[in-house]
Amino acid sequence: MSLRRLLCAGLGAAVFLIGCGKASAPSPAGASPPGSFKFTDVTREAGLTRVLLAGRPEKDHLLDSAGAGVAWLDFDGDGRLDAYLANGWKLSGNHIVEKGRNALYRNRGDGTFEDVTDRSHTAGEERWSAGIAVADYDNDGHPDILVTTFGPNILYRNRGDGTFENVAATAGIEAPGWNTGAAFFDADGDGNLDLYVASYIDCTLSDVLEARRTLDWKGVDKVAPGPFGLQGAADHFFLSDGHGRFREASAETGLVDRALGYGFGVRAADFDNDGDMDLYVANDSDPNYLFRNEGGGKFQEVGLWSGASLSANAAAQAGMGVTVGDIQGDGFLDIFVTNFAEDYSVLYRGDGRGFFEDVSEIAGVAGPTFKPLSWGAAFADLDCDGDEDLVVVNGHIYPQVDRHPEFGLTYAEKSLLLENDGQGRFQDVSAGAGPGFQTARPGRGLAVGDYDNDGDLDLLISNLDAPPTLLRNDTPRRGSFLTVTLEVPPGRGTAIGARVIASAGGRTLIRDLASGESYLSVHDQRLHFGLGSALKVDRLEVRWPDGSRQVLTDVPANQFIRIKKSN
Amino acid sequence: MVRAGRILTLLLALAIFTLTSPVLAAGPAPTGTPEEMVATYRSLAETILSAKKTEWNLVSSILAATYQHAEGTMAQAQGEIKAHKDAKAQIEKLAALVAELGNEGDSSVASVRKKLVEGGHHHHAAEEQQGIYDEGYVIVTRTAKKVFLEAASNIGKMAGSPNAAALTSEWGKVSKQYTELMAHK
Repeated sequence: MSLRRLLCAGLGAAVFLIGCGKASAPSPAGASPPGSFKFTDVTREAGLTRVLLAGRPEKDHLLDSAGAGVAWLDFDGDGRLDAYLANGWKLSGNHIVEKGRNALYRNRGDGTFEDVTDRSHTAGEERWSAGIAVADYDNDGHPDILVTTFGPNILYRNRGDGTFENVAATAGIEAPGWNTGAAFFDADGDGNLDLYVASYIDCTLSDVLEARRTLDWKGVDKVAPGPFGLQGAADHFFLSDGHGRFREASAETGLVDRALGYGFGVRAADFDNDGDMDLYVANDSDPNYLFRNEGGGKFQEVGLWSGASLSANAAAQAGMGVTVGDIQGDGFLDIFVTNFAEDYSVLYRGDGRGFFEDVSEIAGVAGPTFKPLSWGAAFADLDCDGDEDLVVVNGHIYPQVDRHPEFGLTYAEKSLLLENDGQGRFQDVSAGAGPGFQTARPGRGLAVGDYDNDGDLDLLISNLDAPPTLLRNDTPRRGSFLTVTLEVPPGRGTAIGARVIASAGGRTLIRDLASGESYLSVHDQRLHFGLGSALKVDRLEVRWPDGSRQVLTDVPANQFIRIKKSN
Repeated sequence: MVRAGRILTLLLALAIFTLTSPVLAAGPAPTGTPEEMVATYRSLAETILSAKKTEWNLVSSILAATYQHAEGTMAQAQGEIKAHKDAKAQIEKLAALVAELGNEGDSSVASVRKKLVEGGHHHHAAEEQQGIYDEGYVIVTRTAKKVFLEAASNIGKMAGSPNAAALTSEWGKVSKQYTELMAHK
C-alpha cells in the first residue's frame, strides 16, 4: 500500500465557486411515493437518428453482437451535454456492406440535437468502433475523446474550436486489436492521465468475415462460438509522459493481463481509500481483475483474494459492464458488474479497505438480473431521494434465442430499473418506470446524464442495428439536487479521479469522477447528488487526485455549481 | 500433449488408405468399422488418456509447488508477527498464494486452462447452483476453491492487524483442504 500523500493546505482555504446555474424548482420533497419513476423515449424528437451498425443480423461472430458505447460530454463548453455515439460496421455474409460512422450530436438546448460529426471530424476514421472514454488528457481545458476500435484506437484531441483531430498515432496508443473498455486515470500520481485499454479476443478481420455459427446452444441451435475456445487478447496500459505521448508500460507497472482475460468494462477508482487510483476490469468468462495501486505507479492484481473477482459461489462470471457507487451511504465504493443471461449480475459491497463481498442476493439484485443478458449499468439517484438507484441495460447476443421461446429468453430485452431503499437493498421497479422501460431492445451501452439541465438524470442507450435510445427522466423529483462540475486549471493536474463528499440532511454522499464506466460508455462528468429533503449541502468536500482538498459549506440545493481547483 | 495437426495427418492417411483399399474396390462393403480405424482410435485413446494423466500430474505439481511456497511464507509471516515486525507483506503474499491454490495456479495458468475449455459461453447455471461447475479445473473442486478463496480473503484482511492465532486457524483450513484434495490421487 502506498503512503497517503500529504494533503495540501486546501482545507478551509479559499475555494472558487466560478459559476452556478439554477434549474427548475423540484417538486416538494416526498411528493411522490417510492417506485414512482417515469422515463419517456424522446429519441426521435431529439434527433438522435444514427443507426448503430453491428455486423450481420444472425450474429455469426461475437464482434457482431458486442455493440458499442455511448457518451455524454460537453465538447464545446456551453454548459449543455452533447452526445457521442460509437458505431460498428454492417456485414452480410463475408462482405462489408457499410462502415458505420460515429456521431457527435451537439445539444441545442431545446431538447434537440444537431449532428456535427462532419464539421467536428469525429466520424471514427471508418473503423469498427467499440468503446469511449472522455478526459482532458492534454490538460488544455477541453474534453478529448478516446474511441477504442476493432483496429487501431482513435484519440480525438479537442482543438477547442468545435473540431477534433485524431492524434492516436503520435500519442502512441493505437494498439491495433479488438479493444473495448478504457479508462484514463493518473496511475503514478504525477498529475498526468495514463490510459488502460482492455482487449477482448485475438482475432483478425478475416476471422470475423469468415465466421460461422458452430457453437451448440442448448442442443437446439447453432450460435456464434466463444469466447472460450478463442485466444484472449492482452490488455494495454499506457503511461503518459505529460507531453501528449504515451508508452506501453504494463510490465513495469504490474498492470498485466496475465490471464489474457476477455476484457470489457474498465473503471478506475480509489477502492481502498488510500488516496491513489486502483483499477477494476470486468472480464467475460474470466475472473475480473482488481489492480491495487501500491503507490509509485506500481500495481498488484488482488482480485481473487479481495473478493471482487468471482461470484459468491467462486464462479467466474461473464463480466460485461461495470459501475461503481456507494449503495448504502457508508462512504465506501461498491462495484456492480453485469453478466451473461441465466446468471446474476453481481454486486460487490466494499469495506473501504479494498475487500469486497458478493451481496447480490441480499441486496435484491440477483433475482431481477438473473434472466437477462446485461451490459451497460449505472448507479444514479434517478429520483433525487438521496440514494443511488441502479439501471441495467439488457439484450441477448444470440438472435437465435427468439426461435426457442420455451427457454423464456428473448434477443431484445427490457432495461431494468432497481430502486435503492436507502439501505443498499434494491427493488425492481421497471414495470412502473414509464414507457421508456417497457420496450425491449438489443441494448448495450448506457450513459447517464442530465442533458436537459433540469436537475435529474436521463439515460442514453446504444442498441444493435438501430438508433440509440434517449430516455428523458420525467420522474417527479422526490428531493433536491446539486450538480457539481470540477475544473482544474491547465497544467495543474487532472480532475479525473477526484472525489466529492456531500453532507446533507444527515447523510453523507460520495461521487467520484471517472473517464468512463458502464459498458464502453461515459456518464455525465458533472457529479450529480440527489439530496432528498435537504435544501442545502452542509459541507461539500472535494478531494483532488493530488491529495489536496477544498471545502464549501452551506451550499444551497437545486443548482449547478462549478468548483475550480484552488492553488 | 498430442498436436492436433499430427492426429489430423494420421486420420487423413487412414482415410486415404481405406478409400483405396482393395476390399472396398472389390465389391460389396463389409459391415462393421474397419479394423484399421479401430486400431487407430485405440492408439489415439491411449494418447489422450496419457495426455490427461500428464495434465493431472502437471497441475498436481503446480499445486504442490504453490502449497510449499505458501507454507514457507506462512512460517515467515508467523516469525515476523512473533518478532513484532511488520508482517503485512508476507501475509498478503500468503493470501495471494492461497488464492492461487484455489485458482489452480496464477492467472497465467488460467490463460492456458481456458484454451482447453470447450468453446462457447461456458455457462452452466444449473451446475453452478449445485456447486459442481468446475470450469475446466483438473484437481480443485468448486467446494475446495471456495474454501481456499475464503481463507485467502480472511488472511488478506489480517494484513492490517496481524494475529498469529487467527492466521494459524486460517492456514489450518487451507492445509486441511489441500491434504484432502491430494489424497484423492
